[in-house]
Amino acid sequence: MTTARFESLYAYALRFYPSTFRERYAASMRQALRDALGDNSLPRRTLIPLVLRDLVTSLTKEHLAMLRDIFARPALVFNALILTALASGLALALYAIPQQVLRLGADDPQIAMATDVVASLEKGGPTGMLQPGALPAIAGGSAQVDMARSLTPFIIVYDGQGLPLASQAYLNGQTPILPSGVFDNVRQHGEARISWQPILGRENGVHIAAVIQRIQGSNGAAAGFVLAGRNMREVEAREQQVRQMAGATWIGMLGVILVGTAAFGWYTRPRPA
Amino acid sequence: MATTTVPAVPLTPAVFAILLSLAEGEKHGYLIMKDARTSQGGGINMGPGTLYGSLDRMMRDGLVEETGESDDERRRYYRLTRRGQSMLSAELARLDAAMASARSRGLIPHGGRS
Repeated sequence: MTTARFESLYAYALRFYPSTFRERYAASMRQALRDALGDNSLPRRTLIPLVLRDLVTSLTKEHLAMLRDIFARPALVFNALILTALASGLALALYAIPQQVLRLGADDPQIAMATDVVASLEKGGPTGMLQPGALPAIAGGSAQVDMARSLTPFIIVYDGQGLPLASQAYLNGQTPILPSGVFDNVRQHGEARISWQPILGRENGVHIAAVIQRIQGSNGAAAGFVLAGRNMREVEAREQQVRQMAGATWIGMLGVILVGTAAFGWYTRPRPA
Repeated sequence: MATTTVPAVPLTPAVFAILLSLAEGEKHGYLIMKDARTSQGGGINMGPGTLYGSLDRMMRDGLVEETGESDDERRRYYRLTRRGQSMLSAELARLDAAMASARSRGLIPHGGRS
């Protein structure tokens, strides 16, 4: 390769340096190469690979330095962090608020059912539920609800000790039993609204939105308990949709912040005086 | 009272070679590259990109400065600043201490080239 050809190729390669660096040093770099090519003490077979290696490493280095100068400015980083925090908070609210509305709304039919059944039983006493067919007559709906598959709300009546007296629902062929702590809580407060994962349905991932109310006995003590429940499968599917939408919104907002920060950083980059 | 901060050492080979070359006086780019190539100058094979990239950062750090005088507009001359001189002194002192230590442990023969 002739000296002139190599010099012109080098001049072309200098275009790939960041503009600020190129404007300041391209002429000097060309001159340094010209001096090196004119120096007979430096063989071409040594000089050319040295210059090519130097081009690759210094191009990379100068571009990285340029990016650092543009984007590592404290004000720019601070603004980006503030915007990221705001976007994260907004995305969290976008998830948490609908999720709470969905979850609380999942209790609505059960609250009405439990209240009606408790009112009815407080007149006649929970032992009336022992008679076959009595519960559907009071609560309405089906006599047998498969808790794992059906989305139909159901009623289970427990006695004062927490043992099932009558049930519209079954799980793996049995009436599930609530943890005793729940009954203690309802004895004290009159009502509890819980997300219940019965032990019998744990392997199927059955989640029940349950409302438990106390049946007040004539002596003032809890004569029994009414549980109104519903499989949360559909609610959880909607929560999953909300989570995905909030996640997509968050990623979108982060992308906008990243692109916006990059564009702002570029247009306000430090320029030599 | 004005204070002079001694910059951190050790230096990169390229920065050390440039400081060492400019310690002799004002020089332009290719002369610095040529000095650096010699064993006395550090034995660094530096291309123009590395040289001017290093000079740019060293000017920003206040270690070297352009003289503003030139026999050709494409040739810029550089010189050490006081800060550059103190950094070179600190690096030389560090290397000297390391060499003395190596010599006292018998890693370098007494009277050998250091």
